[in-house]
Amino acid sequence: MPPSFELQSVVHLVRPAGRKAHDLEQLRQGIVDSSPETLFYHSLQHQLRHPAVEELHPADFTAWVNGVTQDRETAERIAFAIEQRGGSPDELRDALLEVLDAIPERTRIQRDAPEDGDFVFLDMESVRVATGRECQDTAELIGHLADVNPSVLFWHLVQQPWLSPEAPSLIEWTREAGDERLAKLLEENSHSGRPLEAIRSSILRRWRRSTLGRRLAAAARAPEDDRREEGRRAVASIVRRMTNPTEAADDSRRR
Amino acid sequence: MTLVAVKEDGPALLDGYRDVVGDGPLRVLYGLARKLKGHRIAMVNSTATGGGVAEILHRLVRLLNELDVPTTWEVMPGDTRFYGITKTIHNTLHGWPGTLSPADHEYFHEMNRRAAKELALDGDLVLIHDPQPAAVVLHRKRPGQRWLWRCHIDLSRADRDVWDFLAPSVAHYHAAVFSHVAFVPPLPVPAYLVPPSIDPLSDKNRELTDEEEDELLAPLGLPASKPWVTQVSRYDRIKDPLGVIDAFTLARKRSDAHLVLAGGGASDDPEGAEVLAEVKAKVAGRNDVSVLLLPNDAHLTINALQRRSAVVVQKSLREGFALTVSEALWKRRAVVASAVGGIPLQVLHERTGMLVRSIEGCAFQITRLLRSSDLRRRLGNEGREHVRENFLHPREARDYLAVFARLLEAAGNGVP
Repeated sequence: MPPSFELQSVVHLVRPAGRKAHDLEQLRQGIVDSSPETLFYHSLQHQLRHPAVEELHPADFTAWVNGVTQDRETAERIAFAIEQRGGSPDELRDALLEVLDAIPERTRIQRDAPEDGDFVFLDMESVRVATGRECQDTAELIGHLADVNPSVLFWHLVQQPWLSPEAPSLIEWTREAGDERLAKLLEENSHSGRPLEAIRSSILRRWRRSTLGRRLAAAARAPEDDRREEGRRAVASIVRRMTNPTEAADDSRRR
Repeated sequence: MTLVAVKEDGPALLDGYRDVVGDGPLRVLYGLARKLKGHRIAMVNSTATGGGVAEILHRLVRLLNELDVPTTWEVMPGDTRFYGITKTIHNTLHGWPGTLSPADHEYFHEMNRRAAKELALDGDLVLIHDPQPAAVVLHRKRPGQRWLWRCHIDLSRADRDVWDFLAPSVAHYHAAVFSHVAFVPPLPVPAYLVPPSIDPLSDKNRELTDEEEDELLAPLGLPASKPWVTQVSRYDRIKDPLGVIDAFTLARKRSDAHLVLAGGGASDDPEGAEVLAEVKAKVAGRNDVSVLLLPNDAHLTINALQRRSAVVVQKSLREGFALTVSEALWKRRAVVASAVGGIPLQVLHERTGMLVRSIEGCAFQITRLLRSSDLRRRLGNEGREHVRENFLHPREARDYLAVFARLLEAAGNGVP
């Protein structure tokens, strides 16, 4: 077994990057000049700003092109480029530039913002926060993932793999701990671009399903009283969900 | 003694906020508080009562102490002459005309020197709010301390000379904090963005019962049978109340509704009174528009008005941050607002509200929303969640803690 793994949370501080875009041409130039942190903030960080929505809100670039310059087609294509974001800041930058380069320069200049509606590029600094939660094994990890703040999921599944590959990787630790199936599940979700709460639900649901056989075998070996108590708890949980369908959503939000 | 006694009666703020934002964000607050273990925060501003800054500090100081980050709040001493000078500084930084004489400069520094002697500043993390005590740093900065300047003012149209007078003091801080990116002037120190926030527990935003709403709204005499389209703003040309009337008039041809323009403070402001008169003249004889002049402390009435409106409009031509938008979103209202200033951070087009650029666009979106209660509900629900995640006081407290944690990290890395 690898050594224990401590879960981290993250808070982002933002600062002006010193660039603005009034039209799509200036947006293009800004993307050329942006740091990886700036690209990350405007393309992927919105996942952390809207963790519990049903469908993820558009990224900053998409939202500005759609809502402020009101160039719907380019906004759609930028949204697609971000969704297919690749594994590195440079790949994302190339994908965004490909969309904007497809528009003639003159048209890029014409597609502009109203006064006071410029896009302002921001830089991002990360403050990592220890959660005090140590995982000795993957079962313990799953227990923590069920109720950690969404920023913990964001750091380990989105930001660290993409922006800080040198930092300790939860996915690698899971693999070293011998749970390849969970590692793959985490990896798939880290690229999914879905809201963080949807990612959490998906991981927990699929992990529980994948361990059903193991858990049944363990339950079969448990004493009769324990099995009866477990059965009672399961029925109570089903009844609660049927009688109060919003409870699950509220529980999720309260995390 | 200049120390402000923060009210600590009643239930813990952390419990109140936990009910609103859940456990997760509070656990992050506790985590950041642990990073500041062994440190003390000292805050300074120029008044303990009145105004948004004092309102926020009463909450923030209490919250930080509940998190076991020892925090004190002091008010710098001043006199009539000093307050006259700082009023000029405040107004000119907002873009109003005015000048400071060399004698004013000298007196400002003299008062800051005096404050530096008198203030206890019981902390190694010092948070100075706004221009009045900004120069205290010149006289009290000690090795090992981290100084942060928090500017609550929109500096985007600041008078150049006045800013040039203030900027050398700000340059002595380790970092500065601004509400919005458009407010940040060129600075030699890091400038962090901490958007303002609303207090979900305050009179302006707390939940109201139907009976409370009825009671608060009855004196206004608004028609209960029609959906209300409302703009809450002071009577100011940049809030474009005349444009709102034009947009509503266009929308009204397609959907029956009642327009409510509600604002306060116009009686103290000559231009506000002029704009109010223009608004009244424009709607003279119409019974589908109500123009309300509310007292500045009518927080509960505004709360009820926003909650009962079908659509809330913020059709400003220019904006600072426009927290009225977050207030409306928090109440699950459908919002139509201009894509200016801090509004696009709050209104995500077609997700938490509608961004518009013209009178016709505003009319179109008002009509669309009046016709679809499903759309209003969807936007309102997403808007509330967006505010819950991003524009409530616990997030603002988190950001301050994170800035201090960052400054301490930088100090650990040898940054002077």
